[in-house]
Amino acid sequence: MIMGIMTDLLQDGFFAAVAAIGFAAISNPPRRAYPCCALLAAVGHALRFGLMHNDLMSIHIIAASTLAAFSIGVLAVWLANLAKCPAETCFFPALLPMIPGMYAYRAIEALVMCLYHQEEEVFNHCLYLLAYNGFTCTFIILGLVVGANIPVFLFKKMSFKVTR
Amino acid sequence: MRQENVTSEISSPDVKEVCAFLSDYAAWLCGCGATCIRIEKNVYRMAAAFGIRVDLSIMPSHIILTGRDMKDGASFSLVHTVCRSAISFDMNTRLSKLSWDVADGKSSYGDALSRFEEIKHTAPANKWLVLVLASLANASFCRLFGGDSVSMLVVFVSTFCGYRIKQMMLEDKADVRFVFVCASFFSAVLSAGCHLFGWGDTPGIALGCSVLYLVPGIPYINSASDMLDGHYLCAFSRFMNGMVLTVCLSLGLICGLLMLNIDLA
Repeated sequence: MIMGIMTDLLQDGFFAAVAAIGFAAISNPPRRAYPCCALLAAVGHALRFGLMHNDLMSIHIIAASTLAAFSIGVLAVWLANLAKCPAETCFFPALLPMIPGMYAYRAIEALVMCLYHQEEEVFNHCLYLLAYNGFTCTFIILGLVVGANIPVFLFKKMSFKVTR
Repeated sequence: MRQENVTSEISSPDVKEVCAFLSDYAAWLCGCGATCIRIEKNVYRMAAAFGIRVDLSIMPSHIILTGRDMKDGASFSLVHTVCRSAISFDMNTRLSKLSWDVADGKSSYGDALSRFEEIKHTAPANKWLVLVLASLANASFCRLFGGDSVSMLVVFVSTFCGYRIKQMMLEDKADVRFVFVCASFFSAVLSAGCHLFGWGDTPGIALGCSVLYLVPGIPYINSASDMLDGHYLCAFSRFMNGMVLTVCLSLGLICGLLMLNIDLA
């Protein structure tokens, strides 16, 4: 049981780290930032996975994403000191694997289905799917960006001195 | 010898020269994807080291900088267009380091100018390495959303092709919005193979993940950071930039789905 949970968490963290390294490469960070991005993404994503999938209390994806992003932000401020690069260089790519891509896709899918179907009942259902997925996606992104940015503003002095 | 002369001539720069340098610096820092709070802090830090007081307005497309000499009160205002370069955290890091070196007296004005020129000509990362890493990232993304190994492979291939199209079109200076539509269209059509030929058990996830490498995450995150710092104009501008690109990638995806007549129901 515990081994199964640990395996799931490690697997989740591993794929999140690979995703973070790849997405980090697109925004051209310094080489020393790559391990930080990978570590932050792995911790953040595994934490969100753990918060959402446990027997004690399954937290909603929006709250879980916000908490995970906050933890990424706190760790980023600390790790940025070690990597000697701005905190945002470390945590921006780490947040990208948590961007709710499937909700966004399902919202677009629902939009296409709205265009396909004219019957009122089906159309209303598609509109419901569009609104549900669209709202969830929007609030997850909002939770991610606000949650990760709060520590940078809380520890302003530390955050903006790392390249010194 | 010549370099030494140049350096000594500009070691005590006047306010006009410093303002020109700082506005150019701010424009590049903004262009490479720095947040407004970082631009302000870096510019104010260097201005204080050069002995002038500056006020900075960061607009969506322009930087307005007014500098005042602390000694004689002379002031200059400059408007500089934001440099539209690709997002580069490496450049952001090096420009931030430069500001601290100037503030700590490790870098003179002449030295700062030459280092700034060097940073401006930073070579981008190896495009093939970025291409492979981005494709691997998107395939991992597919796995995170519950995709099976067949879907991961299809997402890898569709991302590889879509991202390569994006790179080639951007090299040819095509409009970035058009580039997003085309790249998204190609990736969606390629990944629709799972739907059309019955590959794997998670065709919907493969299709959804194939275009996610195009989601402009950095503008959205920067937008939130600017909003928290009270730069609402820039926050709105960056958010709208992200939205326009998101709409473009959705358009490419929808065109692909409609063209192949894929039944999503």
